[in-house]
Amino acid sequence: MLSFLSIPSLPLASLEVGQHFYWQLGGLKVHGQVFIVSWIVIAILVVASLLATRNIQRIPQGIQNFMEYAFEFVRDIARNQLGEKEYRPWLPFIGTLFLFIFVSNWSGALVPWKLLKLPEGELAAPTNDINTTVALALLVSLAYFYAGFRKKGLGYFAKYIQPTPVLLPIAILEDFTKPLSLSFRLFGNILADELVVAVLVLLVPLFVPLPVMLLGLFTSAIQALVFSTLAGAYIHEALEGHGEEHEEHA
Amino acid sequence: MFDFDATLPLMALQFLVLVAILNAVFFKPMMKALDERNDYIRRNQVEAEERLSKAENLAKQYQAELAETRRQSQSVVAAAQAEAQKIVAAQIAEAQEQSRLQREQAQQELDQQKQEAMTTLEREVDSLSRQILSKLLGAPV
Repeated sequence: MLSFLSIPSLPLASLEVGQHFYWQLGGLKVHGQVFIVSWIVIAILVVASLLATRNIQRIPQGIQNFMEYAFEFVRDIARNQLGEKEYRPWLPFIGTLFLFIFVSNWSGALVPWKLLKLPEGELAAPTNDINTTVALALLVSLAYFYAGFRKKGLGYFAKYIQPTPVLLPIAILEDFTKPLSLSFRLFGNILADELVVAVLVLLVPLFVPLPVMLLGLFTSAIQALVFSTLAGAYIHEALEGHGEEHEEHA
Repeated sequence: MFDFDATLPLMALQFLVLVAILNAVFFKPMMKALDERNDYIRRNQVEAEERLSKAENLAKQYQAELAETRRQSQSVVAAAQAEAQKIVAAQIAEAQEQSRLQREQAQQELDQQKQEAMTTLEREVDSLSRQILSKLLGAPV
């Protein structure tokens, strides 16, 4: 794709979409580049967490202060969606969703992965691979089903016919559109952002892509926020379950 | 672009592991730290409020004591002034009495001396008039 535009003298500016650095695990194929970057992201998160909580002070300083800010941010996301009473058991899931997606997106936007050559494919944000986003979205679906069943048992199914059984097909459809919209929103935004930046870099190498890159940083952060917020909203809906609709927004 | 393979379940597993790890090393300690800090602040605030009210009570008490002491000192001063007034009045009265007595005594002495002088004078007048009489008559009566 777009290979007719590639200029050999600009190693930063060639585009590859749909090519993957395959690893064979037994009989399974996996996308190696996604895992490499996701391990780096996970390492960043774990190391930052360890550094922050290794020696917790009453008066926070340095990395602890920063991670407390991050913690309070994700706690506010979870609390705003789930409410003061319910948010605590779901905080690790929603918080990790936000942190993982956010660090993944920004690693894709900030780190010049192109400088690391792979035999095939290229390193990029893990979230620009559909497998990652679908995995996360399916986990969100499982999470809200789990939340609903745990809270209400089989009574959870009552919410499908709650206001009126006429809406049953739509209610069922919703369970499919939720992970679909979650995964494709994230995947589309991140991939499109990287493509736009790559195309612009290809056409006008210096300075002109900078505003688009800044916009990319912004949308990356917004997508992480949207994903975790919607995850919280879905879980809350399953816990409450009176068929209230939460407006989705991309 | 849309090729799904084993990346998907592995990524999901990996993410769940990440949730578990971050729960252990990030969310739980942070939650604990923040709760502890909240408790600490609340406790300190309650303590400080108690101490403040105690201090205010003490201040009030001291004010009351101060007012009491001031009233006492005023009454002491007033009593002392009254006593001094009394002493002054008594001494003045005594002095006046004494001076009156002295004056009376002097008056009495004066009267007495006057009397004495009068009697001597009378006696002399008597003797003189007798002498004159004898001289005039030339012979004793």
